[in-house]
Amino acid sequence: MTALEHIMDAIDIETYIICKDENEGKKLALQLGQEMNLGEVDIMYQEFDGYGMRLRLRKYVYKPGNVYKYLQPSENS
Amino acid sequence: MSKKILCVPLDPVHDVGIKIIKNALDKRGHQTALLSPDLSPEEIVKAAAKENYDFILVSRTLGYGVAEMLARFVDMLDSAGVREKSKIVIGGKPITPELAAELGFDKGFGEHSTIDELIAYIEGREIEIKSVGLNKTKKNFISGYDYKFNNDEIANLLDAITEKFIKFTDNKKSPGIERAKIQNEIIQTEDLSKKEKLYEKYYALCDDVIVQGNKEKSFIKGVREVTDVELSNLKWFLDKTQPLNPNIIQHDKKHPAIFKFLGSGCPIMDIIHAKVCERYGIDGFLIINPSWEARYEGLLQGYLTHENDGTITSFDNIKLMRKNLDNSTLLTVRAHRGLNTPETVLLAGLAGADLVKINLVYGSLGAGTDPIRLAVDGVEAIKLAAKYNMPFDIPGNDELSGVPAWKTLAGLLINVMLGIKLGAKPILKPLFCYGPHIVINGMMEQNFIDYNAAKIYALRTIVNAPIWPGEPIAFMTQSEERVQSANATSYHAALAASLEVDAITVASTDEAYSRGPICITSRIDSIRAISDAFKFIGNANFKPTAQADFFTEDLIKKITETLKEVERKDNLTTAIYDGCLGNKDDGAYPGKFGFGTVI
Repeated sequence: MTALEHIMDAIDIETYIICKDENEGKKLALQLGQEMNLGEVDIMYQEFDGYGMRLRLRKYVYKPGNVYKYLQPSENS
Repeated sequence: MSKKILCVPLDPVHDVGIKIIKNALDKRGHQTALLSPDLSPEEIVKAAAKENYDFILVSRTLGYGVAEMLARFVDMLDSAGVREKSKIVIGGKPITPELAAELGFDKGFGEHSTIDELIAYIEGREIEIKSVGLNKTKKNFISGYDYKFNNDEIANLLDAITEKFIKFTDNKKSPGIERAKIQNEIIQTEDLSKKEKLYEKYYALCDDVIVQGNKEKSFIKGVREVTDVELSNLKWFLDKTQPLNPNIIQHDKKHPAIFKFLGSGCPIMDIIHAKVCERYGIDGFLIINPSWEARYEGLLQGYLTHENDGTITSFDNIKLMRKNLDNSTLLTVRAHRGLNTPETVLLAGLAGADLVKINLVYGSLGAGTDPIRLAVDGVEAIKLAAKYNMPFDIPGNDELSGVPAWKTLAGLLINVMLGIKLGAKPILKPLFCYGPHIVINGMMEQNFIDYNAAKIYALRTIVNAPIWPGEPIAFMTQSEERVQSANATSYHAALAASLEVDAITVASTDEAYSRGPICITSRIDSIRAISDAFKFIGNANFKPTAQADFFTEDLIKKITETLKEVERKDNLTTAIYDGCLGNKDDGAYPGKFGFGTVI
């Protein structure tokens, strides 16, 4: 089982991206999710301040109703 | 036996931590010496070598290049022969046992170490095993209230309103009440053929979508049964885990009990979240069901999970949660929305829930149920709550639609009087919120304290009943920004502590985030913020301005006027239809689910 699969529900990334405007910030945020092999991420919070963008991104590893691998004894005993 | 200890603040300035430790060691009878800060390593080594110390305690915060300096310092102590006669110990925020060993120290104590652990080490005792398990007692915040009314005019109005209302509901029936009776028989009987016949009677009173789900396992989209393997995996996980070093949120006895919502959709996810929250000090949970559950006649049965918002309130799901929560944890089930109110209360009672959530007015005006249907079902539900000894909490969430606070509070008080007459124990749940009516009328332009405080003062002036602001507190003040959200919750929690209310319902920092389920870290973040806020306020208080007194008087006056208007109507349902407790201009509309089903 991967470390990612041990995550209870979601992984959030908080950072600050230097960008020229909000659009570029959003584009870079989504690109960041891809570069970190997280696939599609949701931008939970964004605030462009003229220099860059304060960001919070979220990727759900498990959503309600999924099968949670960390609960499987054979995978995690 | 007393030890000789040299305390060393190996830091240019800071020596507070080591002074606290020295003080604790002195109290235990050890002989300590404290060096001043800003000595060179050479000077410290000289002092350490001069006497025969049992321990050299070094305090240092790590910064750039400090690790190398500490390693050199240990080498110097070695060369001076100090190592042979003294144990060398380091403490500081970023220190871990591994880092201390790597740098050559005999022992290291970090941010999460306690002074007791250090003393145990010095005295050669076993370091006590960290506290395992919650070891907590279930809170009872109802027992101190006698439900006496201090305002005769309001008491008389409520008496008249509820008398007429109870008479109105007398001898009326609904499919919801009938199903609750059948369900009770189904649960009580062991006879399978009788059970089967009872199920047929039950299904005859259900909507097709519920019958299909229960009989053919053909569920609403996103719903599926929890498998036996999933249940056994949950048991395996919970059997091998325990809360370590449980947190207590309340720093003073006047601080309220803390409730959180559960309702991810999946009972297993809810339970795992709840277990972590219990460790962080949460006292109780409210199960929030899916909004569609309210629209259908009948409830789904079995262990069920749901991909969307809201956990299905089947008997098995409620039992599963109750069984897996700590005995000290309170469990509330939302019952007042929709067409299954009596049955939900029955199931909650039989499953061992502690409380149920019922507000006849809000359920009609803000949650879509036909007022007459909810009147009849609600009275039965309150009787069932009394039967199963479950206090019922009355959330004033109609305020979120735009209903003025005085109308909402009048609705709460009607429920309270009704509860008293039906033998139940009602709990007032006014909102701590930045609701639409408050925003439009600028009631919180000066601060967020006065108006919230006025609601509590007004209710306390009227009746001696438990008060549990919700739902959750700080509603409409939180944003998607995590820190702001945690802060908003914690300020409102501190206000609640200051006003000495009995309990509060609190949100996670995901409160304003609507594009996905609440995650565990957001729950922990808000609890940490509340815990800090409680520590900050301690046994002190926020002081509302004189404006709060004006708001209080105004609220009491307008609650009285509202109740007079309700009392002039034939009965409570007419008053609801006619908008006395919230009208379309306020953003409140009488619900339609179950219209025409009462006989």
